[in-house]
Amino acid sequence: MLVDLPGGWSPLLGRLAWSQIPYANPILAPLFVAVVIGAIIVLGLITYYGKWTYLWKEWLTTVDHKKLGVMYIIIGLVMLFRGFIDGLMIRTQQVWAVGPHSSGVFGSLHGYLTPFHFGQVYSAHGLIMILLAATPLLVGFMNIIVPIQIGARDMAYPYLNALGLWITAAAAALIMISLFVGDFAHNGWFEYAPIFEMQYSPGVGVDYWIWTLQLVALGTTLGGINILATIIKMRAPGMSWGKLPIFVWASLSANVIALTSFPALQVALGLVAADRYLGAHFFTAGMGGNLMLYTNLFWIWGHPEVYFVILPAFGMMSEIFPTFSEKPLFGYITMVLASMAIAGVSWLVWLHHFFTMGAGPYVNTAFSVATMLVGIPTGVKVFNWAFTMYRGRLTFNAAMLWAIGALFLLLIGGMTGMMLAIPAINYMVHNSVFVVAHFHSMLLVIVYAIFGSVLYWFPKVFGFKLDEFWAKTMFWLFSAGTALVFVPMYMLGFMGMTRRLEYVFNTGWQPYLDVMEFGIVVYTLSVLAFFILLYVSVRDHAKNRVGADAWGTSRSLEWMTHSPVPFYNFAVLPHINERDEVAWRRQHGIDNVRPEHYEDIHMPNNTGVAIILGGLTFVLGFALTWRIWWLCIVSLLAIIVLMIVRSFRGDPGYIITGAELQRMEEEAYRREAQIADSHHSHPVSGGVVGNAMAYQRNDSSK
Amino acid sequence: MSSHASTVDPKKAELWDTHHHSHDVISTRTLGYFLYLLSDGMLFATLFAAYGVLSYQHSYFGGPTPAEFVKPWYTFAQTIALFLSVLAYGFGMNALKHKNKSGLINGMLAAFVLGVVFLVLDIHDMSHLYSMGITLASSGGMSAFMVLTQVHATHIFFGLIWILVMMAQVMTKGFTEETVGRLLTLRMFWHLQAVIWVFVYIFVYLWGYIS
Amino acid sequence: MSHGAADPTMHPEVQLSTSKGYFLGFAISAFLMLVATFLVTSHSVPPFGLLMVISVCAGIAVIAQIYFLLHIDISEHNIWNTVALVLFIPLFLITIGLTWWMFSQLYLRTMDMSVMSSAMQPAVHASATPGMAAMPGMNAHTDSGN
Ligand code: HEM
Ligand SMILES: [Cu+2]
Repeated sequence: MLVDLPGGWSPLLGRLAWSQIPYANPILAPLFVAVVIGAIIVLGLITYYGKWTYLWKEWLTTVDHKKLGVMYIIIGLVMLFRGFIDGLMIRTQQVWAVGPHSSGVFGSLHGYLTPFHFGQVYSAHGLIMILLAATPLLVGFMNIIVPIQIGARDMAYPYLNALGLWITAAAAALIMISLFVGDFAHNGWFEYAPIFEMQYSPGVGVDYWIWTLQLVALGTTLGGINILATIIKMRAPGMSWGKLPIFVWASLSANVIALTSFPALQVALGLVAADRYLGAHFFTAGMGGNLMLYTNLFWIWGHPEVYFVILPAFGMMSEIFPTFSEKPLFGYITMVLASMAIAGVSWLVWLHHFFTMGAGPYVNTAFSVATMLVGIPTGVKVFNWAFTMYRGRLTFNAAMLWAIGALFLLLIGGMTGMMLAIPAINYMVHNSVFVVAHFHSMLLVIVYAIFGSVLYWFPKVFGFKLDEFWAKTMFWLFSAGTALVFVPMYMLGFMGMTRRLEYVFNTGWQPYLDVMEFGIVVYTLSVLAFFILLYVSVRDHAKNRVGADAWGTSRSLEWMTHSPVPFYNFAVLPHINERDEVAWRRQHGIDNVRPEHYEDIHMPNNTGVAIILGGLTFVLGFALTWRIWWLCIVSLLAIIVLMIVRSFRGDPGYIITGAELQRMEEEAYRREAQIADSHHSHPVSGGVVGNAMAYQRNDSSK
Repeated sequence: MSSHASTVDPKKAELWDTHHHSHDVISTRTLGYFLYLLSDGMLFATLFAAYGVLSYQHSYFGGPTPAEFVKPWYTFAQTIALFLSVLAYGFGMNALKHKNKSGLINGMLAAFVLGVVFLVLDIHDMSHLYSMGITLASSGGMSAFMVLTQVHATHIFFGLIWILVMMAQVMTKGFTEETVGRLLTLRMFWHLQAVIWVFVYIFVYLWGYIS
Repeated sequence: MSHGAADPTMHPEVQLSTSKGYFLGFAISAFLMLVATFLVTSHSVPPFGLLMVISVCAGIAVIAQIYFLLHIDISEHNIWNTVALVLFIPLFLITIGLTWWMFSQLYLRTMDMSVMSSAMQPAVHASATPGMAAMPGMNAHTDSGN
């Protein structure tokens, strides 16, 4: 029943062989050497400074939602960088390989990438950016912020949270290793039937793709359940649904989408695996298979997924705008309803990704209309943000700039999305770079919101602000890059340039491609600015320390506890009275009231099981990819046994006594007082007078 | 919305949680698990969607169709085995309600044995088909049939392991917050398998038999 | 978070088990499956009616199981489970229903059913010929709605 494999297979190593290591590849071999050297340096430094125990105890085994969130964000940023390099490579190939007279190097007829290699680069780019950059970044922020915003000490299931992180890390590791061992899928990030069948894609690329995605799906589903249960069950007393911070609502709606839609992806991938591993005929051409069934199953998940990533970004924008407009969010209720409506409608539109299948006028019309309906709640949100800023006291710091940039991109992406939603137009531009420009506008909304959030919440997590100058420099460079890359891309789309070309036949397009190449260079500068930003901020961190309310105008609960947030979040859980509790307390001058006494609290223990299970899922994914059956069985058994052992052991947790808590709290308050003394000019943790204006703007002070 | 009038008097407002609410660990666990089960339900819904697309006549490509090999009474026996297993687990949970440990263990043991009966019948059925040369490689339609039914069987298989684990935990640890919480989640899992089986039985086996 | 104070077996979700409920859930669904199996094997009802009848059997059996076995109701302890289920059910229907709809429309336009039925002959199976390209699609039985 198992399919015939082209090429060799041995019981010990499966399909793995020396010939699978691309040591002769002029791009990958030097990269591999660089990675090895880099890894040796990093590991050496950790050993030299004796940080292994620290790393293991404080990070690798942690179940603290904030640390897990930070690690999600680190994974996301690393993968964002990798995806960016892929993007740079794609642009460079396309500006180079134009017309029959363009030169070619490294064994390629035109440009520097062979078609097969180019295909891998763009497939990896898409997959990484959506599932291993945007998704972990957003999940990371939800992890850090949601529990604090609802006044909880941790997630509902801290251990599961750690497991989700390490499975995501395993997925990232699996796609990274495909660079150096074997190859990656080369048929696009969402693949097509039947080209992914064994017959047409005999390598391991598609298998890497399957198992990477399966791991991401698993990790995200676990994370989604956790966040939903946390929001439903762990809210502080008084935190009724009408008082939930808007980012929590956004996370709720997003994770409803994740929970409901990821199973469809898992099925789609599972059936591809059945075809490739067991010789089934789900998506084969002939033998009763159906090619379009794959596309259908994939986009049942695929479209909800794009809203899964954009809704948290909307939530972030909804937090940043009010804080820096010094006004409450306009239209809280409509914002909540809009998020829910978007989540609902996102389930009715998936066919717009394959209008050209030809299901006929009824089907196409229905899905077209449903798609356009999404514009209504999205428009509501745009107006709400605009009215939040209207007559507000605006602070144009870097976080705010990113949020405003996101708003502009949302308009552009939304408009072009509407155009694509009309089947008559879609038949013209489907699979052109116009579509590519559309969804990059949309995904950049997320990237902008994420960078805005990094700036906005960084002081909460680490206790000091990032450098404004370099943050703004980065913003303007990044925005210039965005304009330079994507305006020409829209134009080329209209001119009929199809997506994923490794050779551009029309020399008339050269000027546009040149501009785009220039744009990606500007992007590169903004990446550089980001590194400088990190360096400068860490260097100057002592100067930029902040108290609990880092911005002096913030509104939701996370700004009530210390910065950096203590591991127990709140020594005594707050009782919630108002929607924007922090702003309300500040307005009434009760933001400095401390709890009278401290009681014992119960916290979960760290555990090494999660990271070991993550490692085992990586081994399982690798073994499945290379069809090393014994290793599949061993790692699967190890996973099951470990889970059972862990379930026998359980976690009694531990107690922090009230006295200890009081000591830690007093120290934190002392530190905050010092910070407030050291820079008076800036409203640090809110005093009564300085911040009353932050709640209602009709009295003007200073 | 500065019109959002505050209704609470800040001077008298309660600012900290003084009542010390106890956190219901068990229902937090069961809620999360129920959410997982629903996503599992979506997994089956997607499989049913695939089965729907691949159960046209041309999907079998002239090869064997369920109408040729499904034996309704045989599969009905499977149905009853599964339903009885679920019932036995339910009786076990009723014993738990009365803190009756041996009642619980007996119920779980019966559920386990009946689950094994279900699985053995299924494996026998599949190997019979295999001996006739009918596999998931026969045609698109057969792929859909096999995968849908065997994904359900896989759930049963892992459920059986879980039942054994829980029997061991109840015997060694007794009724703690953790074991009771797990018994409840296992109950949901096991009962949901019966719900899904209804769909599998009616729309895959019986409907396949008549079409 | 106070822990372990109460007896876990007194938890309301444990206490709502009743043998009678479980037995009713079993009896109703087993009986309906019996009816469906009997009708199907006796060939006494025409196929379309049969599909309707067994669908109804499945529907009632599932409702009975969800009510008696999964304890889905609107009592305080189950309300979130119920809300979640109620939100999910439309999505199950959408996934299956819209998929079925779009592909039935697609087949209507791309598959010539008269050819398809000849592909049913076992002989064709052996010489795996007719791919879609070999079929005179799009002409005979296409869209009547345009
Ligand atoms: C206003 C709402 C939106 C509308 C009306 C819309 C419409 C569309 C349509 C019709 C397509 C198919 C184009 C084609 O392939 O011919 C498409 C593709 C796409 N959209 Fe959107 N979209 C919207 C929002 C979004 C959002 C919020 C995101 C992501 C954050 C997004 C990401 C994508 C992606 C990734 C693709 C293409 C995937 C691919 O082919 O690789 N869209 N959109
Ligand atoms: Cu879409």
